[in-house]
Amino acid sequence: MAMRKYFEGLGFIVDGAYELEEAQALLANYRYDLVIADLRLTGIGGVEGLQIVSDVHQRCANTRVVLLSAFGTPEIERESYNRGADAFLHKPKAMMEIAHVARTLLDQ
Amino acid sequence: MPDHRALDAILQPGGITPVFQPICDVDDGHWTIAGFECLSRGPKGTNFESANVLFDYVRLKREETLVDRACITTALAAARALPAETHLGINVHASTLGRDSGFVDFLRGAADTNGIAFHRLTIEVVEHAPPWDGLSFLSMLDRLRGHGARIALDDVGLGQSNFKMLLDVCPDFMKIDRYFIEHCATDPNRQAVIEVVTRLAERFGARVIAEGVEDEATVKALKLLGITLMQGFYFSKPVDALDVPALYESARMYLPLP
Repeated sequence: MAMRKYFEGLGFIVDGAYELEEAQALLANYRYDLVIADLRLTGIGGVEGLQIVSDVHQRCANTRVVLLSAFGTPEIERESYNRGADAFLHKPKAMMEIAHVARTLLDQ
Repeated sequence: MPDHRALDAILQPGGITPVFQPICDVDDGHWTIAGFECLSRGPKGTNFESANVLFDYVRLKREETLVDRACITTALAAARALPAETHLGINVHASTLGRDSGFVDFLRGAADTNGIAFHRLTIEVVEHAPPWDGLSFLSMLDRLRGHGARIALDDVGLGQSNFKMLLDVCPDFMKIDRYFIEHCATDPNRQAVIEVVTRLAERFGARVIAEGVEDEATVKALKLLGITLMQGFYFSKPVDALDVPALYESARMYLPLP
């Protein structure tokens, strides 16, 4: 998991999940400052895949959420923010850029 | 990433590691081992080493039946290393008991294969979600009892382990979750809840098992509330089956009680 290694290299403590249910199980048991979710993880296309934002905020309203998508339409991006995502990034995106967004959100 | 990747890793041979935590009978001045709860850990080096994450994931996948069976298979195989006649508590989701019509035959087969008599087994009923077939569930409990197994209700007071479940199951054991046990030595409200559960258990003819006992003050408080069966890190963390004999030695240690 390239992103995990990159963020760990920056000093973050990182848990990674390969499936939506794995991510949900982690969210049910631990508190996170930041969640970076690739919409591919949800296995659901369209706005239905944005459920992950609600899953995060149901557990902890203060957790920051960054969404990544290679197929993000303007509609999905708009709906992401409506549902409470803090950032929506279109792939491909350099790790350095993702990390910059994460740092900025965590410093706010 | 293929779907069910993690589930495949959990279910493959060696994916589940069984561990055993003693349930101790505390008498004045000492404690003895009354039995063990069989617990499961997911694949090493993954998020599923945490049992909470493992079973939350399994429930979200709605694969309780498959994973319950896998956990029981590995636990009973490992339990062959335990002293004969050791009582074993095995966790089973209520949903599994309600849906898996072949569960009794499966359990009998797993017990027979490993030379474990059915009367040594206590089925610890776990549930976190309501949707299961109530009639099938109750019928399954009757069949398990008919073969000599005993029934424990896990996590009493939390989630679906409520009064209705209590009436339906009429358990032989009521396990009080650590949420109520932690800090009970200094919290009169927690003591009140424990006292009520203890009285309920008496009326049901059940015995109470306190989970999450981590210090001597809690042991003393529970004794004063009439509870003698306890489980938790104060006595032992969950251990590999091969480490169980050493626990019997430590169980003879003197426990200073008033």
